[in-house]
Amino acid sequence: MKELEKLLDRIIQRNNINLRELEYDVNPFVKDLVRFNQMVKFYAFYGITPNHPLDFVFRHSSLAGSYFLGKIRTRNSILYKSDIRGDELKHQGDVFNYQKFEIPITRDEGIDIEDSFLIKTLVHNFSHDPETLEKFFIKDTVSTHYANIHGSPMDGCFLGPFATVDLTTMNDCVIGTFSYIQAGEVGHLNVDPGTVWVRSPDVFNFLYRHPLDKLNHYINFIAGRLPQGFLMDFVEDRKEAFQRVFNAVNIEASVPVPDSASLDRFAVIKPKTRIGENVLVAQRAFLQNAWLGKGANAQENCYIINSRLEGLNVTAHGAKIIEADLGKNIFVGFNSFLRGRVDSRLTIGQESIVMPHTIIDVKMPLTIPPGHLVWGLITNQQQLEANSVSLKDFSKINDGLIKGNMAFEGNGAAFVTAFQERIHHILEANGAFFDGKKNIGHAQKNQNLSFNTIQPYPDGELQGLYPAIVIQP
Amino acid sequence: MSDFRVKELMVPLSEYATVPKGSTLFEAVLALEKAQEEFDHTKYKHRGVLILDKKKRVIGKLGQLDVLRALEPKEKNPGELSQFSQFGFSSNFVHKIHKQRRMKAAPLKDLCSKASKLKVEDFMQTPSEGEFIDQEASLEMAIMQLVTGHHISLLVTREKEIIGILRMTDAFAAVFHTMKECEI
Repeated sequence: MKELEKLLDRIIQRNNINLRELEYDVNPFVKDLVRFNQMVKFYAFYGITPNHPLDFVFRHSSLAGSYFLGKIRTRNSILYKSDIRGDELKHQGDVFNYQKFEIPITRDEGIDIEDSFLIKTLVHNFSHDPETLEKFFIKDTVSTHYANIHGSPMDGCFLGPFATVDLTTMNDCVIGTFSYIQAGEVGHLNVDPGTVWVRSPDVFNFLYRHPLDKLNHYINFIAGRLPQGFLMDFVEDRKEAFQRVFNAVNIEASVPVPDSASLDRFAVIKPKTRIGENVLVAQRAFLQNAWLGKGANAQENCYIINSRLEGLNVTAHGAKIIEADLGKNIFVGFNSFLRGRVDSRLTIGQESIVMPHTIIDVKMPLTIPPGHLVWGLITNQQQLEANSVSLKDFSKINDGLIKGNMAFEGNGAAFVTAFQERIHHILEANGAFFDGKKNIGHAQKNQNLSFNTIQPYPDGELQGLYPAIVIQP
Repeated sequence: MSDFRVKELMVPLSEYATVPKGSTLFEAVLALEKAQEEFDHTKYKHRGVLILDKKKRVIGKLGQLDVLRALEPKEKNPGELSQFSQFGFSSNFVHKIHKQRRMKAAPLKDLCSKASKLKVEDFMQTPSEGEFIDQEASLEMAIMQLVTGHHISLLVTREKEIIGILRMTDAFAAVFHTMKECEI
């Protein structure tokens, strides 16, 4: 296992070199975060489908429990129980529109992971960087539990647990626990935990800070310890159900799945779940007594429990919905945690937008009216009023709004439109609008997916590392 | 430019307002007032107070701006406002946030009452490397340090001991004097 230990030291060193300006040392946070014997235990697996490229090159890497789809390279990297989902990469011949430029794509885009350590991280979407359209790179980077790297090439970054970087090229940054960044391009930033930042330069700028004393109850991360808090306990409590799914070779769907829907065999489906037409359930999703209406989706690391989603709902990567009733066309952003109680349900009116990394945790019934924008930490009616605005009123903002811990500058209508267009695009990509012939998306394309497994050296100096593997059609 | 040496222009430490570490802001302001009253007897006007440790060594400077800073409403999360610029908010917007928070803060009288009880060491400026100058240094050297470091005063040393303070106004007076001599 010596080689694996050396590899981890090398990655940490490279990450620290990139972060030297911020005087950030990742070593005490990362060194013992995953035990080496864990990295030997799990197989890696990849998807085969006629709808996506099959092009993998793995060199000098540990891939324990990780999943790959599309065109992916790894070199000198450790990927632990991570999902590298290349089903939205650009194809040769596509045209990428950026500002006034129409940029032709000269070859199929690939995800390129080098000198990086990703723990239970989701990598998805495509590179939005106009300077590197054919390569979605992740280099000299360390990301920790349940982080999302979504359409965001990065070099020399550290992502805390439940951090999300979305549609942003990032260099030499530290992104704190449970922080969400969508800002186009950033460098040399140390972002505090619980920061939610959405910026389109010269158009709008949204910033919210979770109160740290309250956030710590849900998630906190200090050097030398595993991430702690309710969110970690919540996923740990359901870990066993996933182990059963991963240990079984063949799994039959335990609920009826319409022809137009897709239920991944690595999702956990508990009783009383109902899958509607055009529904997409991704791997590592957890459904229990979940009613998913037409065109709803549950992406990676989503948990939907004792809840009803009427249809065309986006439950983005890592979002959790418990004891809740959601109307149609509701967006629940990345890593949000929405929890009602058995006798105190959470109700969200149609066409509302729950910002990424929102926590709604109520012990009394709470209703969010239709067409509202919701953010932050909400545990009662008073906090809902402090942390929400109707989309209609938000669209009227011309210069700025300061409300509690939230600051918004710029054009409210542009912000709302950008979100609505993106939600529509996600639904489109997921196949929510499939009519039997047109608008085919992931829910239809991912139905015929086969999985192969690959294994590391079981013993010796190379224990835990995978041999160089090239997989092509 | 001139033959002025720093030691000829500085205010000797013995004539400068000082308070020991652990003093309150109010005590520092009283010390400053006392030094101002003595202005009639000396040629120096005082705008700051030096903070001394138990061995009478200078450990910090407290200027008028530092006292005013103590009156600013406390941020719930320290450094939060300064971080708004880092996140790309315009200076106008940051000013608006300042204004909004100032409106919500306690009246100035209450802030003054609270601030006067605070300790000087929480607001003093610890001298940086470029803020020391040898007593034998020339006026030119002192001007260079004041300009490049954006300092309003320098601590004058003899070997390792601080023996005085050279204020921007002292350097300026010497420059003005030299200019007049040149004209004549």
